[in-house]
Amino acid sequence: MSPDFSPELQRELLDDFFTECDEHLAHIREALVLLEPSIGKAQADGTVLEDLFRNFHSFKGISAIVGLRAAEELAHVTEDYLRELTRGSVTLSAHGVELLMQATQRLEQIAAAFRAERPLPSAETLQTLMSELLHASGRTKNQNDASAASAASTTSTASPAGPAIENAQARGLLLWKFTFVPSKPLDEKGVNINSVRARLSDKGEILQATPRVRGEGAVAFEFLVGMKETPADIAFWESDGITAELLEQRGPSALAAKELAPASKELPFPQEHNPFIAPSHVVRVDLPRLDELMRIVGEMVIKRSRFEEELSRISRKGETVDVGALREVNTGLNRSLRELREGIMRVRMVPVAEIFARMPFVVRDLARENHKKARLKMDGQQTEIDKYLIEQLKDPLLHLVRNSFSHGVETPEERRQAGKPEEAVISLSAATSGDSVIITVADDGRGINQAKVLTRAREVGLPIPEVLDKTDRASLLAILCAPGFSTRTDADLASGRGVGMAVVLNTVRALGGTLALETEEHKGSRFIIRVPLTMAIADTLIVSASDQTCAVPQTFVSEVMPVTEEEIRKVNGVEVIPYRDGVLPVIRLASFFRLAGKAQPRMCVLVLSSDRGSSGLVVDRIHGQREVVVRSIRDPLIQAPGVAGATELGDGRPVLILDGTAFTSGAVRPNTEGAEMSSLTRN
Amino acid sequence: MASQAETYVLFELAGATYAMPSSSVQHIEMMEHVTLVPNAHRAIDGVVFSRGQVIPALNLRARFGFPRQERTLRTRVIFAQVQRRVVGMIVDSAREFKNIPAASVRPIEQALTGVSGNYLRGLTTVNDRLILILDLEAVLNLDKDESLATSLSEVIASGAQPTPAALAH
Repeated sequence: MSPDFSPELQRELLDDFFTECDEHLAHIREALVLLEPSIGKAQADGTVLEDLFRNFHSFKGISAIVGLRAAEELAHVTEDYLRELTRGSVTLSAHGVELLMQATQRLEQIAAAFRAERPLPSAETLQTLMSELLHASGRTKNQNDASAASAASTTSTASPAGPAIENAQARGLLLWKFTFVPSKPLDEKGVNINSVRARLSDKGEILQATPRVRGEGAVAFEFLVGMKETPADIAFWESDGITAELLEQRGPSALAAKELAPASKELPFPQEHNPFIAPSHVVRVDLPRLDELMRIVGEMVIKRSRFEEELSRISRKGETVDVGALREVNTGLNRSLRELREGIMRVRMVPVAEIFARMPFVVRDLARENHKKARLKMDGQQTEIDKYLIEQLKDPLLHLVRNSFSHGVETPEERRQAGKPEEAVISLSAATSGDSVIITVADDGRGINQAKVLTRAREVGLPIPEVLDKTDRASLLAILCAPGFSTRTDADLASGRGVGMAVVLNTVRALGGTLALETEEHKGSRFIIRVPLTMAIADTLIVSASDQTCAVPQTFVSEVMPVTEEEIRKVNGVEVIPYRDGVLPVIRLASFFRLAGKAQPRMCVLVLSSDRGSSGLVVDRIHGQREVVVRSIRDPLIQAPGVAGATELGDGRPVLILDGTAFTSGAVRPNTEGAEMSSLTRN
Repeated sequence: MASQAETYVLFELAGATYAMPSSSVQHIEMMEHVTLVPNAHRAIDGVVFSRGQVIPALNLRARFGFPRQERTLRTRVIFAQVQRRVVGMIVDSAREFKNIPAASVRPIEQALTGVSGNYLRGLTTVNDRLILILDLEAVLNLDKDESLATSLSEVIASGAQPTPAALAH
């Protein structure tokens, strides 16, 4: 690269670096999962290995560019191991896969620490283990030689800092710490990180190089160099942005611990409780999708010029207005806009694999820490949903998977006694269904014991129904999701960041989705999340009653029919209309707003249906069909059951978008006798 | 420049003058249309749009326990931001900006803490006119008795992020 070190560019470069890191790591994770079936086979899956190799290699490359040595070296050893696997000179072992996974996690931690300007975790032990793996595997003599050479070269670059310093001191080398701050003017002089590194290695032995991120995204590089003698021109180096400091000849261990950021103790590097390190704001787009957008924009340009022609024609005196031509232009523009909108929606869609790929690691970690056996089965990873939804669903899914593991999965002994295989299966799946995506987290564990849940809910003092039907999963779920319930039972690792079921439920709801539960004792549990594929735009029917206008998402409307006051009857205090062979409970839009309905000779009923049920919405008028931009309602003061969001129809006034799920699932109740019909008192 | 002063927006409500720091005020608008929201908090008149966001319209009269009043030409909505939340507050009128020296703000005397006393940060007098200074956070801290529903949604609100809807324009 040609480093241009203005702060903005620097930040941009680093941003690019992190984005690339994320991408490579994501690919690696996906591939690692595919690698597991190859364990013990003489020749592991070549394509997967190649994929892994390429990604580790790229990771190494970009780490080197930003001077992230620890990551570069670790990726390097990993690459060596993968190369041997590809050649078939070593057999893939479970331990090997484990190490590859650990290496991946460590690379991520290193990148994350670098980003957060924290001390970098060390990767020495992993590197050593990885090299051991290379040597331990049965190789022929001369491969051994080759690998010894490569191992030697590895150690010279990857040498653990502590021993290297000790060694350098033992050889009587002077320890210098050089700090290089790259800048644009320096770069123009030809002084950059590479030339500095070359200069330093020319004068001595670079024992360690550490990039330090400073405020404003600037980077400084610290080099620890062992030198036989002080370079004669060292005083002039400062003009090249290099400051030098002769370190005291104190004990090497003190040096290693203090001067050198990477902790010399390795393994207990603080584990990230949340494997999702930072929200990602980057969407990869396939070029054809962009080409499509470009084509649409091109069409719009042409249509606009036709519109302009028409405008200038009719603005000439004496010309008649050709409404037909204008309509045609309008129709054309309308179509292009719709296409453009759909195109942009498609660009925003990313595969759920972005979240799924991390979950096997989560389950592995949990299994290791808890002496339970479980594996994760995944389906539908290529299901695409809006990027925003992906970001929002990360934590809820993570929580559900952890929950499945810690509450659902039994110990191996328990499972044996129950006649189940020792290894539990947690399955994660995604599928689209109409305009929704359904994501399920299921386990084959012990299921939810309703009695226990109720007891605990009473202990915590939650309001619970007197009698709970054995099959009433919705009420059970409501208890599980009550704040104060989950926090107490989840005091173990599952509650890593205090994200409880309450938050899962609320996140899903805020996205306009639903959460459902299926569970059977001794068989397992299944949490089902259903969220809209995209949420920005909806096709709606605009309806009104008693001067209140609302938008009803068309996906819920299965039928529209006229209805008269006489047809609405009361059965057990609930208003119903005859519908097909039976009756349909109805909700009057006016009474939803707690307004007195005006007597209307003719009204309409929208038959709303979802997988939760059906109901009718009685309105005075249907104004037509509109495509609306959905604005979410985020302030709790105005979040109300039955309201999914708001939009405007061009006059700047908010219009509520009704929540079809709430109307069909009973969350908004049909009119009962004596329903509040207070007149308009507000506003 | 004897002491530090802060600029306040003054507004009238049920015959009294109140003030809130102008640093919290985003903009003030004529009261136009407010869309009813069923089952919202009793002091909430509905929702309005402000800068593309759906904002609750809080009727300060209702909030302070005064009877609601018919909308007039002087009725204003003050859009104030408290932490990350923006709320439109419906007041009888709002016309003035005033510099109020911090030193002149006195704490509330016990005797004065009536209905609205809990929402006041202090009071001051300017030209013999009594001005009550609002504690915005207290004003927006609506009924904790709906703790279950509210706390749930607050958890979400605190993690709120821009939605694609906000980008759709």
